[in-house]
Amino acid sequence: MASAEESKATIEEPKLKGTSDEEAVVASQKWYSSSSLVSSAIDVATIELSLRVLLFASTLTALVLMVTSKETETVLVPVLNIPVRRSAKFSHSPALIYFVAATVVACFYSLVTIVGTLYRILKPYPTTPLLLLYYIIWEVIILGILTAATGSAGGVAYIGLRGNSHVGWTKVCSTYSKFCKHAGSAIIISLFADVLLVFLISLSAHSLYRRIR
Amino acid sequence: MAESSTLKPTNYEGATPSPMGNGSAAAAGVANANRLSSSELLLRMLAVVATLVAIIVAGISKQEKTVPMVVIPNLPALNVDVVAKWQYSSAFVFFFVSNIIALVYGIVSLIVTLGNRGKSNGWGLAILLMDLVMAALLFSSNGAAAAIGLLGYKGNSHVRWNKVCNVFGKFCAHVAGSVVVSLMGSLAFLLLVALATISLYRIKSR
Repeated sequence: MASAEESKATIEEPKLKGTSDEEAVVASQKWYSSSSLVSSAIDVATIELSLRVLLFASTLTALVLMVTSKETETVLVPVLNIPVRRSAKFSHSPALIYFVAATVVACFYSLVTIVGTLYRILKPYPTTPLLLLYYIIWEVIILGILTAATGSAGGVAYIGLRGNSHVGWTKVCSTYSKFCKHAGSAIIISLFADVLLVFLISLSAHSLYRRIR
Repeated sequence: MAESSTLKPTNYEGATPSPMGNGSAAAAGVANANRLSSSELLLRMLAVVATLVAIIVAGISKQEKTVPMVVIPNLPALNVDVVAKWQYSSAFVFFFVSNIIALVYGIVSLIVTLGNRGKSNGWGLAILLMDLVMAALLFSSNGAAAAIGLLGYKGNSHVRWNKVCNVFGKFCAHVAGSVVVSLMGSLAFLLLVALATISLYRIKSR
């Protein structure tokens, strides 16, 4: 399927490029002469799709890891020394609640854009600059939300891991090891998702930029 | 600058059929380009000023306080000097360092933008991408500092982390102000990315 699509695009792309540009002669000659540009046009869509699928997978993984991080342990009450069952879950911390909400938003956004990109690959039509503009602006907003979530969850998780002796916040990861493993993995995966989003925006910005040259 | 003002009007009227006369359409095109460019400069300056103010406010947030502490129940309380400063929390260190990075980048990009004003070369894309990275960096550091600040303000009863803002009022106020100002700086970087994208799009749709 991929090779069929590629050959189709090899035929289609020069025409699209030619009609969209005013300087058709020069541009199309340049276009035909460099076959690497033609293959790169379909490669961009494939790379974009795979980046979006990766983004969806990573945000979903981070979400599931964070939601399933609940752990119940027996801890001693400080003064009375009575063992009690206490649980640790993400909803105990506002930062982690924000993390879950932001991951849901990013996951939903990536799902919607996967459908859009799939549609564009299966039914080739030129990527209009307006579509790229919308993609970039939405992705920048999602990037802001997701990086803030990564930062806030990371800050709280670091205190949980190391504690802070200056204000007497004890570490909790020695008690709730499973919770901390889940939360830490979710944060690292969401950091990966942030990097993916930066790459996606760069890709869109570059294809927007390439059209004006 | 002169190059762009001679180029842009012809391109503008070439593709967009306007009800207005050619001259006014060309003038609108030039005005548009100028407005976009000056708002970009304004936003960049805002980002620089915001990160600078955030660094200063966070930097002078150190607070020393004498609090009575009961060591042995029957004896009078001992007076203990306690200090709060941003170096004590790794999240605040991250916040401070990323604001410094954003400030340095903001100044450099301001110079580069002023130097390349009106030219269309590869710098535009590079600056767009760097703005993006700076926005991401600032947003994550703001998130971290805000999360720790919220912990200090509210505490967390589930893991028995006590609030500290009832003792260190000035420190907390400084950190909160610093985070808000830095958030404005990161929003400025975000708007810069949107603005650069919109101007890329406008150049295309001439």
